[in-house]
Amino acid sequence: MNTFFASRPRRIAGLVVLAVVLVLAPLVSSPYINYQLSSIAVFAVAILGLNIVMGYTGQVSLGQSAFLGLGAYIAAYGVLHDWPPVLSLVLCAVIPAVVGMLVALAAARLRGLALAMITLALPIVGVPLARRLTDLTGGSQGRVVSWLRAPEATGLANDQWRYYVVVVIAVVAFALAHNLVRGRIGRSFAIVKENEAVALSMGVSPYRTKVLAFTIASLLGGVSGFMYLAVVQYTSPETLTFFTSINLVAAMVIGGSASIVGTALGAAYYVLVPVLAGQVNSSRTALISGAILLAVLFLLPAGLVSLPRRLASLLRRRPQPAAGAPTPDDATHRAPASSTATTE
Amino acid sequence: MGTTTEHQAPQPALSVRDLSLHFGGITVLDGVSFDAPQGGILGLVGPNGAGKTSLFNCISGHYQPSSGSILVEGTETVRVPAWRMAKLGLARTFQHPALRLDASVLENVMLGAHSWMPGGPVSWALRLPPTRRREREARATALQLLEQTGLGWAAAMPADELSHGLHKGVELCRALLSRPRLLLLDEPAAGLSHGEVEQLIGTVRAVRRDFDLTVVVVEHHMGLISALTDRVVVLDHGAKLMEGTAAQAQSDPRVVEAYLGKEVAR
Repeated sequence: MNTFFASRPRRIAGLVVLAVVLVLAPLVSSPYINYQLSSIAVFAVAILGLNIVMGYTGQVSLGQSAFLGLGAYIAAYGVLHDWPPVLSLVLCAVIPAVVGMLVALAAARLRGLALAMITLALPIVGVPLARRLTDLTGGSQGRVVSWLRAPEATGLANDQWRYYVVVVIAVVAFALAHNLVRGRIGRSFAIVKENEAVALSMGVSPYRTKVLAFTIASLLGGVSGFMYLAVVQYTSPETLTFFTSINLVAAMVIGGSASIVGTALGAAYYVLVPVLAGQVNSSRTALISGAILLAVLFLLPAGLVSLPRRLASLLRRRPQPAAGAPTPDDATHRAPASSTATTE
Repeated sequence: MGTTTEHQAPQPALSVRDLSLHFGGITVLDGVSFDAPQGGILGLVGPNGAGKTSLFNCISGHYQPSSGSILVEGTETVRVPAWRMAKLGLARTFQHPALRLDASVLENVMLGAHSWMPGGPVSWALRLPPTRRREREARATALQLLEQTGLGWAAAMPADELSHGLHKGVELCRALLSRPRLLLLDEPAAGLSHGEVEQLIGTVRAVRRDFDLTVVVVEHHMGLISALTDRVVVLDHGAKLMEGTAAQAQSDPRVVEAYLGKEVAR
């Protein structure tokens, strides 16, 4: 990844190709394929949020599915009350963000297992809550909607239209997250993950940083819930079960922790591997998925995103990165180290 | 060294008054008082377990002292949270430089700009032009600092390809980028080779002068203390044993006793 796309022209070319593929894909694919591609976009945004809080900031979250479910229920409630979709989208971002922030204000003082337990409580509490609050959620039956139909003027089928809606949202979310994890805020996330004492000494409040990361993760979780309802047209308490959270965490690790590209790869894994495994042997889906998970983690501990780097280093077969071998130019720079400051 | 070391501003850069720190029943610091004059280099020395690093942690806000007061340029900081200390002009390094090994040297140094760089999550997510401009400025300053300390060649390298000694240099640049007026160095010579210590002495002197800093340094390495400091404060069992020049400290029988035991001192 870093090697091939290091140069700017290559990176731009890569993005253009990606954009063309994203635009053309639904036009030439079957509704089934479009559904799968749209699902990848949905879970990519959920995993993106998880990656912000876990991958980049190093805080365990096992509650991401609760925010996905919350977003989906808010969107379903909006459909029932004829809200304009844009209003639904805004509320699907804001309400989960506020809920996530409130939880984080209490939970971000904890770490490790204690924090994992608190976040785990969200889906554990959320599922029975969703069953009980029948007026809001439709209870165990869930909510079936018929929503976001393609406008006549576009000439698109519903699956194509919904694909474009969720892909546009996903692209915007990825672009914003990509900006965020570089620069000032990204550096504060990274140092909180690495060493809180250093964070403190450099003017970063670990507590505030963690609350911010959780809030962003919850916001993206809620947005992915909106997208989920757009694609699946159905939500139920099953949407927010704890197993979804665990699978999202696994997908994040497999794609690549603390990596934007890895997030997308993780989402593709999340959606496609069960489908492919089901085609191999429909009664052994979980077993095959598990075997693939272990194989990926064994061969690529840094996730799918590290595959090109791994291949490049295998091909080059250089002994070890020669850290201590500077070029002659470097050596001349290094020699006067003790006195260079005096030249100022 | 020149004339700047003799310069004594009316208000000390750092003033520690009657500072005590207890962990449960254990007294770590017991009524320690000293001043670090503006522009000077003050050494904190003492045998292992004397409380030097604990004292540092109190000054930088990582520990909450049990009693006493700490004034940074006249401002009481005992109740100030550690992460606000950078804004008050205090920066520190650690015994074990904690760098992000997967990130580039430059990216590691850039963290130092956090306290004075503006912009919250929204402006950074949108990468508004003012935000981008500040990032470029910080980057330029960081590169300049790396050049100044002889590390310019390493800016783009991942930190884990550098030696321990160079990590200390990167950490120093990170601290300097936060624009400190008071710099705390916690055992900067630990784990360095003889040549690297020589280099370190030159670098610390140079940055002290170029950035108009007050430096407080905790160190075991007596060569470094003698070469670098204007004054030393000797701690033993959490209390101040004496204060004076490094030469005075080394010839003081109480200091020799604290370091080597009673028999030798006699």
